This record gives sequence, C-alpha cells and structure tokens, in this order.
Amino acid sequence: MKKKKMLAMLLAGGQGSRLYDLTTNIAKPAVSFGGKYRIIDFGLSNCVNSGIDTVGILVQYKPLVLTRYVGTGESWDMDVADGGVHILPPYASATGGEWYEGTADAIYHNIDFIDMYEPENVLILSGDHIYKMNYNLMLQEHEAKGSDLTVSVIEVPWEEASRFGIMTADDEGNIVKFTEKPAEPDSNLASMGIYIFKWDVLRKALLEDHGNADSSHDFGKDLIPKLLGEGKKLTVYRFSGYWRDVGTVQSYYDSQMDLMDNVENINVFSGDMKVFSNSNMYPPQYLGREANIKNSLLCNGCTVYGSVNHSILGSGAVVGYGTVIEDSIVLPNAIIGRNCRINKAIINEGAVVDDNTVVGEPDGEVVVYGKAKLSI
Amino acid sequence: MKTIGLISANYGSTEFGALLQNRTLASLPYGGRYRLIDFALSNMANAGITTVGVIAPVNSGSLIDHVGVGNPWNLGRKSGGLFLMPGSVYGMQRSGSRFLMRDLLKCDKLFTKDDADYVIMSGSSDVWNIDFEPLIKAHAESGKPITMVYKKVARGEEFQGYFLDINEYGNVTGINMESYGWSNYFADCFIIDRKYMIEFMNWYSALEYMDMIEIIRDNLGTVEIGTFEFRGYLGKIKNPWEFLKVNQAMTDYDIRNEVFCNPERPVFTKIQDEAPAFHFPEADVRNSVISAGCRIEGRVENSIIFRSCHVAKGAVVRNSVIMMHGIIGEGAVLDNVIADKYVTINPGVKIYGGEKDPVIIGKDGRI
Repeated sequence: MKKKKMLAMLLAGGQGSRLYDLTTNIAKPAVSFGGKYRIIDFGLSNCVNSGIDTVGILVQYKPLVLTRYVGTGESWDMDVADGGVHILPPYASATGGEWYEGTADAIYHNIDFIDMYEPENVLILSGDHIYKMNYNLMLQEHEAKGSDLTVSVIEVPWEEASRFGIMTADDEGNIVKFTEKPAEPDSNLASMGIYIFKWDVLRKALLEDHGNADSSHDFGKDLIPKLLGEGKKLTVYRFSGYWRDVGTVQSYYDSQMDLMDNVENINVFSGDMKVFSNSNMYPPQYLGREANIKNSLLCNGCTVYGSVNHSILGSGAVVGYGTVIEDSIVLPNAIIGRNCRINKAIINEGAVVDDNTVVGEPDGEVVVYGKAKLSI
Repeated sequence: MKTIGLISANYGSTEFGALLQNRTLASLPYGGRYRLIDFALSNMANAGITTVGVIAPVNSGSLIDHVGVGNPWNLGRKSGGLFLMPGSVYGMQRSGSRFLMRDLLKCDKLFTKDDADYVIMSGSSDVWNIDFEPLIKAHAESGKPITMVYKKVARGEEFQGYFLDINEYGNVTGINMESYGWSNYFADCFIIDRKYMIEFMNWYSALEYMDMIEIIRDNLGTVEIGTFEFRGYLGKIKNPWEFLKVNQAMTDYDIRNEVFCNPERPVFTKIQDEAPAFHFPEADVRNSVISAGCRIEGRVENSIIFRSCHVAKGAVVRNSVIMMHGIIGEGAVLDNVIADKYVTINPGVKIYGGEKDPVIIGKDGRI
C-alpha cells in the first residue's frame, strides 16, 4: 500500500457540556449547524478538499448519531479503498479496558492504527469550530520549515485573547511560548486546536507522556509544553478566513445568526472547497399561501405555513399556521405547531412544540427548547 | 418471492421542444431537485428491490450522469445492483412504446442469469409513489403470469395511453388506445413471472419490432392477465403544459405528503450538497417550492424553483418552473414560463405564457 503523506485524527469524543441540552444525546461534533450541516462536516470536508483521504475519528461520548452520520464516509468521498474514515472508540485489551483520558491519550491508544498507514505526518483536528481551511497549505509550510509541530493560529482581538490558548512566536514563526488562557496576553495568536506533527516525533512524545503519572495527557496542557521544553522546532501557521467557535450556546447561536447578517458567510459553504454533508432525502422546501419568510435560511424538507424572520429552519422542520418565529434556530425535523411565538430560541432536533406555545423573549437570553429525538 | 426490476427509459416525446433537445424524458428535471426516472427507481428501492435494469436510449448522456452506479437507490452493490443497458435507436421514434422486444432481447441476461421469481417492469416518466409490496403479494397469490397496474380516471379522454377492459374476475379482456369517461388507465407498469418473460422472449424473438403491450394484447385470449388498482396520485407528463401542472402538484398538501414526504417511502435522487436557500428581507414567496442554494430577493408564486437560482429584487415569478442555476434579473416578470437550466432573464424583461401554452426557454438561454 502506498504510504500516506499525512493522515488526520479527528477528536470527536468530547461531550461539549457548555452546549447543555444540545448535547444531551448527541456528541458535539454531530450537533446540527446552519440548518443542514453537522459540526463534523467542516473538518471532514476540509480533509477531502485538502486531498486527505484517511481520517481516524475518535469517539467516546454518545457516539450513536455521530457514527451513523459518518457511515462509510461516502458523503465526503471518503469511501476509498486504501484509506477512508475509521471510527475509533475506546477498546479493551489483554490488560483490561480504558477510556480515553485526554486528547493526547486518545491518540496514544491508536498508535497501532496510525502505524498501519506509516504516515510522515499526522494532522490532529478538534470538532469545535466552523471553518474552511486547506490543510495542504499548512502542510507545505510545515515541510518547508522542517517543523516537528506546526500549530494553526488565528489572530483574535487583544481584549478576547485571554479566552484562548495563546501562542507567542518570534519573527520567523517559531513558537517561543504557549500559555493557556493568559491573564495578561503578550500575543493575540490563538491556537485553533489544529496541529500537524511529524509522526515519529509525536509517537515518541506520546509514549513518554503516557508513562508520566503527572500528565493530564492533553495536547495543549502537556504535549506542546513538553516538546517546547525539549527544544523541538514548533512553528505557527497563520490562518485567516471564516472561522467560528461554537463551544457555548451563545457562540453557537451568534455564529449562525451571522450567516444571515452577512450573506457572504453562507457562500462559504458552497463554491470551491464545498462543504459536504450526509443529507437525508428531503424534497425541496414548501412555503404555503400565507407563509411570510424574511431574511432567513431554509433547508430542504421544510414546510412553512407561518411567519419566519431572521431565523434558520433546519432540514425537515415544519412551522404551522399563525406561528411567528424570530431570531431563532430550528434544528432539523422539529415540528412547531400553530399559533406559537418563538423568539431567540434554539428548538432542538426533532422536538415537538405544541400549538399556542411561547418560547423565549425578544430581549431575553438564548433558550434551548426540547430534547433531541434520535432518529435516522 | 424475489423480485427484480426493469425500467425503460427508451422512449420520448416530440412535444417538449427545447426541453428534450439533449436529454431523455426520463432525465427531465422535475420538482426542484429530481429527474423523472427517480420515481421509478425509488419505487423499486423502497420495495427492497436490489437488482434493476434500465434500458437507456441513444441520447442517454444526462441519464447516465444522473443515475451513475445507482448509489442513491441502494443499487451500487456487489450482488445485483444497477444494470444500464443500451436500448435500440427505434425507441425514441415510438413515443407510445415502453418495452420493445428488441430491447428486451438485448438484455436477456438480466432475466436468464437471475433466479428471481418476478420482474416488475415500469416506465420512467410518471410522478408517483407506489408501494410495490402489495402488488408483488397480490400477483404471487393470484397465480396469474402477469398483473397490470392501472388507475381509475374520471375523464379518460384527457389521458393518452392504454386503457384496460377488466372483467368481474379482475382479468384484462381488452387493451384500447381510446376512452371516454371513467376508465382504467394503464400505469405503464406490470409484474411478470420471470420464467414467463423468458418464454415470451423465445416466442417473439423473430418479431422483435413488437412492444410488450402488443404482445400481451395478442395473448389476452390464452393467458390470464390480472390487474392491480393504484389509488394514489399519478402525474403523467406528456407535454409542457402537463409538465407545469404536475410540477405545481407539489404545492398540493395531500400530494406533497403522499408522494414526497412519505417517511416510509422517500423519493431518492442524486445529492448535490447545496447550502440552504436564503430568503432576503425583501423576499415574498407564496405557495411555492424552493430548492437548496437559491437566493430569493423577489416575489415567487405558485412556482417551482430548482437549486441555486437567483430571483433578484423586484422580480416576479408566477406559475412557472425555473430549473437549476436560473438567474431572474431585477424587475423581470415571468408568468407561465418553463426555463431550462442556466437561463438568464435580463432585468426588466417580461414574459407571459398561456396557461395551457407555457413559454419554454431552452438551456443556457439569455433573454
């Protein structure tokens, strides 16, 4: 088999507890975004659009929807003979079974998997962000600089820098310091949680880290400081472009609202480097005689008889007569009855909203309504 | 009761002008995201049929592009799957024919190599969602070698095609081209015992210009031909007016639920991965079907808009079908228009078709 220049490992095991009811039943990477996508679509599409055809997906928390959604990877053209997507859950061995104890630990437990492909480099991705990126450009820079580790960074406003993992780099892009959520940041380059490692360097570091009882086995907290301390060549790759954090209910909500406030943002998902998704088969949307849709994004399978303003309706969502929806996100297959008032709310996937229900207030906090119903 | 399928796409119509210039009736875009053959293929897929032959016409480029290896219909498989078979050049010259014996003889391996009990044979140009499982069951229980599917229609004279005379035992006693009032309209679909089909092919191999319907009619006196009534929606498309009408049927609540939103039997099609449709603050869409990737700034009424179309500010689209990537310029007005793919209507242009005589704008047209 041809050796891989680079394979990707996508960390998809986290709970995403700050998304509260959105992740009660669904792992964060499988949470709906933009009406028809799930968060993992962006990472997988970036991979295939960057020419990466082998991806390991590390799952742990509530993997049902996620694993079914990924399937064979066909939706992302990842059903290839000498690669493809591989779902990698924790497993038992002769010495017993272990959960993934941290991001680095999850990769440690799959060293054998990566070795099968004998890659030169390993790309580590996290399923927290909505962005479009050509990892190949990052790889080119990684190789040109001869780096052991390249960390993708994005400039954030100085006043927000203390919320991020901050990389401090010299003029040549060499990382000199890494600080997690610094109180007084000396750089505004935030780590995007996207790493390219030389596989031999990462492999050795993972084995050593595993034997270190004091380590929390986390890339940011343990691996990067360790390599930095060993004098390895760590460099930044500066990314600019569409990039949104969806780690909290508020950021999840805001990042979708700005799809409508700046219509260029939705074009990000089409055009070249298209974002692919595993869509169910829905007919095109139908808007009734009294429907009134303004400034909104609607997906296939929607049926709307009421009014929708400045909102997103996910695939297969239904809005009954007399209902008014404003500044809200209706996730796929939610059924909203007649004469409801929905304001600043996220209606969970497949949730049913009875007739005459009032959800949220125009000036209130963002509300997550209903429990996600799992269905295929 | 293993059943395989055979779909004929080797027939056309001369009434569509530019719409069928470079494509077959089977691959005519329909309903915002579909092609007509999707209905026949989905009916088979939803009955668990995993071996399907498609008789393709000579100009089948767009059909092959759409159907591919059949993945959307679960037909990309190691065992069975999709068999695209080139039909004869005569197909497109005979709009009434569906299953020419010469086409069937060419794909005889489909019948002789498989061990299926039955073959469902279907046309490829009707919009319908039929549950084939009761048909297979009724056919198996009847012991008759052939069962024909029909729909009772109130005004037979408005339909073109074949009508069945049915006796009190549910057997076909006559097949006619003309009809008035209540009639049993043949739905271009029948189920036949595979072994019987092979016998027919042996008997008629020297008469290969004949169509299966003619052959069945020849044998009405000697073979018991059963019937199965279909009570759902059957959208027949034989001309541009019917094309417009059957597209608009998608806005009917009952038809939408029966044909397109049936969770038990979805209509499958090739996936294109477009972003959601965006309705601008100025958009005003009523009683219409809008597809993914559209940008709507103007007014749309009683119309079907395919994926990735742009309706600019002040534009009005009424009673029309706009196929994918159409651009309707500012202030343009379209009424009773069928626009093929990649049509551009310049700002301010107004086009009014007749209710029964829609204006057709060919592919890539700029007006």
